[in-house]
Amino acid sequence: MARPKKIGSTLPKRDANVIFTRRAALMSFVGVGVMGTILARMAQLQATDAISRQYTQAADDNRFDTRIVPPPRGVVYDRFGTVLAQTSKDYQVSIVQNDAPDVAESARRVAAILGLDAEWARRAVIRVRGGSRYEPQPLKEGLTWEEFNAINVRLPELRGVVANSADVRAYPFDVVYAHPIGYVQKPTQRDIDNAMANPELGESRAAYLRNPHVRVGKAGLEASMEETLHGQAGWRKVIVNARGVEMGEDERERREPVPGSGVVLTIDHELQRTAMQSFGDQAGGCVVMDIYTGDILVMASVPSFDPNLFVNGIDTETFTALNTDEKKPLFNKAISGGYPPGSTFKTMVGIAAKQAGVADDWRISCPGYFSFGGRDFHCWKHGGHGSVDLHRAIRESCDVYFYNAALRAGPERIAAVAREFGLGVAHNVTLPNVAAGLVPDPQWWLAHRHEQWTAGLTVNYGIGQGSLVVTPLQLCVQAARIANNGKAVVPRLVREAPGVTPPRPPPIMTGVAPEHLAAIRAGMFGVCNEGGGTATRAGSMIGLSRRPDGVIVDAAQAPPGATPVQIAGKTGTSQVRIITAAERARGVISNDQLPWALRDNALFISWGPYDNPRYACAVVIEHGGHTNVEFDAPIVTARVLRETFLRDPANRAAARLASLEPRQSGRQSA
Amino acid sequence: MTIVAASGPNSLFDRFAKLNWGIITVLCILAMIGVAIHFSESASAADVWTNMPLTHGMRFLMLLSLMIIMAMFLDSRFWLAIAYPLYAGALLLLLAVAVIGETRLGATRWLSLGPLSLQPSELMKVGLVLALARYYHQLDPRRTGTVLWSIPPFLMIGLPAALIMHQPDLGTAMLIVFSGLIIMFVAGLLWRIIIAGAVVGVGGALFAYRYLLHGYQRERVDVFLGATNDPLGAGYHVLQSKIAIGSAGLIGRGYLQGTQSQLDFLPEKHTDFVFTMIVEQFGFVGGAFVLGLFVALMAFALQVAMRARSLFGKLVSAGVAATLASYVFINTAMVIGLVPVVGVPLPMISFGGTAMTTLMVGFAIVLSVDLRRDQQGARGLLW
Repeated sequence: MARPKKIGSTLPKRDANVIFTRRAALMSFVGVGVMGTILARMAQLQATDAISRQYTQAADDNRFDTRIVPPPRGVVYDRFGTVLAQTSKDYQVSIVQNDAPDVAESARRVAAILGLDAEWARRAVIRVRGGSRYEPQPLKEGLTWEEFNAINVRLPELRGVVANSADVRAYPFDVVYAHPIGYVQKPTQRDIDNAMANPELGESRAAYLRNPHVRVGKAGLEASMEETLHGQAGWRKVIVNARGVEMGEDERERREPVPGSGVVLTIDHELQRTAMQSFGDQAGGCVVMDIYTGDILVMASVPSFDPNLFVNGIDTETFTALNTDEKKPLFNKAISGGYPPGSTFKTMVGIAAKQAGVADDWRISCPGYFSFGGRDFHCWKHGGHGSVDLHRAIRESCDVYFYNAALRAGPERIAAVAREFGLGVAHNVTLPNVAAGLVPDPQWWLAHRHEQWTAGLTVNYGIGQGSLVVTPLQLCVQAARIANNGKAVVPRLVREAPGVTPPRPPPIMTGVAPEHLAAIRAGMFGVCNEGGGTATRAGSMIGLSRRPDGVIVDAAQAPPGATPVQIAGKTGTSQVRIITAAERARGVISNDQLPWALRDNALFISWGPYDNPRYACAVVIEHGGHTNVEFDAPIVTARVLRETFLRDPANRAAARLASLEPRQSGRQSA
Repeated sequence: MTIVAASGPNSLFDRFAKLNWGIITVLCILAMIGVAIHFSESASAADVWTNMPLTHGMRFLMLLSLMIIMAMFLDSRFWLAIAYPLYAGALLLLLAVAVIGETRLGATRWLSLGPLSLQPSELMKVGLVLALARYYHQLDPRRTGTVLWSIPPFLMIGLPAALIMHQPDLGTAMLIVFSGLIIMFVAGLLWRIIIAGAVVGVGGALFAYRYLLHGYQRERVDVFLGATNDPLGAGYHVLQSKIAIGSAGLIGRGYLQGTQSQLDFLPEKHTDFVFTMIVEQFGFVGGAFVLGLFVALMAFALQVAMRARSLFGKLVSAGVAATLASYVFINTAMVIGLVPVVGVPLPMISFGGTAMTTLMVGFAIVLSVDLRRDQQGARGLLW
């Protein structure tokens, strides 16, 4: 090792201690400067915030989260206060994605507990991934109490999974109101896109629609009265941590949701249920109306479906099955189903013929067919009716009479009468998809078929065939306007709701003479109550009597002196296929030999009680073909009207009053 | 008595009484602040007694005892003697880490020795300070002013720094380079070399960055230096930290009231971003107070350095002060967004034993030097 002395002379003398002291002092200054820089930077950040509040704002944005509180949806009642649609608690299992290390694994475990397959778990994960990472996203809704408990006890091993309850729309009578009330569903992507299209509120509205607990009306009244029923959303300003877990709430910023308004329907729940059950397994529609107020007491469409299935999202298999069923359960046949009216239309033709000057005693000889323009138009009765006047023609539904009557009246007059009675008109009953039907006339024919109207078409018009399309609702309006002696009653489904006014007395129909209507009504009475009438069985099935004090009771319990309660009506059969000449020569294939979809539609319009009309009813049975004797259209009508007469509020009040009187008088005499 | 006094305190009580209690007091205050801060952010009552505040306090008390014992029983001769072996050992371990190290969290910093795991880079922090101090202590003062004799210290710093960079651990590498260069500076590094080094270093790096690197390489440098941050990575951390500090105001939101930290928006709040927690709760005043405590600690260490008779003692004390300063500067500059997030804790306060152990072993040497400040350096003995 070299000794320091050897080089010492060539280098300047340095004192390590002096250098150290100087340098250390210098370093201290630098150090203090550096710490000063740190302090200055802190001060700068805080000064920036003091001016712009940007960091305070950012901290608030971090910890405050506005959580939407969907409003409870308005309750729907029947006319007597029975709850038909309500908001109830739904048990759900949800997941907070941010807390779940493996969302897919958690979903699989939930599926295993609930006995669902891996495919369900896969779809659930896809659905959940679209939502907020911090708020609970429902995996499965509508859990039973047992399922909910099964999830609850296993929560510790399901990270990120929560078992919660939420408000959900419930339809306690499921299938009974699937059509008039409809259902709510989760907003679709299209709803969200539509909301986004609105430049002002789009963003917040879309955010609202993305909330997993929000439902919007998608069918029936739920859709058409969405604004009324939905209510106004509230919000809560919650304090969340970085994982989105709610740690508290700023109560001052809370806004309670405004519940949706209640809606009272004109429907009578008991009647509606009776009507829905009266069809058996057939497809069809039924409307019962008060002929003075227009209140729709029954709006039935069968087969039906459970609207509760749609609330939390219906599975594809079930939806496909419903959507492809040939009996079209998703379709509201009562207001949207269009059918040729068949012989029910003879009431209209009869009025038109009277207007054209046809006298009551104008008679036609029916040999079973009517030769016109080189063609034979057949009567449904093979051998013919013989000599018929208007009364008998309606009662026995003689086709030949109305071929001739139609020719006397002319198509314009028939169309005008039909429209005046509410056919070919979309009645506003606050529902979506009300069909207008079709009442053709020569003008329409030219405009749409590009042909001149022919007298042959007029002949067919006489028995309600051809291009005529009517709905059960229109048929019921037609029956009501006949029954109330020509008052233009307007149907309504909503009895009480914001903005709904009580009905005004219906205006008198100007173009209809009372004596013309009387003749038609008499004929319709004959249909149900006279020999040869086409619906005498239905007439006899009413089975009610009016006691001398005016109260309607079951015929079996009626005291002496009671008079039978009777209805009036008109049957109809409309072909859905063409009967060829060859088939007619062989003999027409009877409906019970045909496949269901080719059978005739069976129709029946009616009203009653005959002595003091109050209710009208229309029933259409698709492809019923009058083959099913127990569930034919007039029979269904008889069951529904019988119940309707008994449930009439005035009748019930009178019955109750009558039951009290003897006791009071007894007490007085004692 | 005078003889004893001249050669340093000999009785145990004497030694204990003559410890630098200023340093010990400041260390205690800092550790207590750490306990209070970790308490403020423990999620539940159960956590409080099983988790961070207690652990932090117990760890400090253990290290404090160890520090005092080391200071009382180990004198400069011991530290001088183990300086080079410790440095050489740490360097070898760093090499071993590069070859057989264990990778955790994407960085290879640990050596597994059965159940023990060791970060050789921490050993190097103490080893480098001791080795540089010994180098200059033994070097003829006239040679410190030559270029030739300035090369070995650069290598002594550069070799471990390069190995640590390789792990990669930019924070520790920066720390080692900072404190090493400060020791060289106070030992008397020629101004010429300092200026030339600064010019060549900065100029060369800028030139290379600007003209020699391809776009994608430059991008890598940016990412490496943290100039480009992905929003949910380190950039998110700094943003949340700046929000917490910026919104705290002069006196902060109050103890236990920091929303950013209470609600977990502030990441790594018990380790890298503990300073942010302090500022959020106690504001500018609280931050300045803590920084003041660190400055006081450095001042005490420098005072020890000034008073020490041996150059070794001076340089070791200055080196420990420099290491502390580097820790504090890098950490606080990091949480306020002045330097990239490189994962350097705030010593004595951040949760975790590594930095605290390193620092307190360093201060054990400082205390030891201070205790024996009247002793002449043991130069002759070791020659």
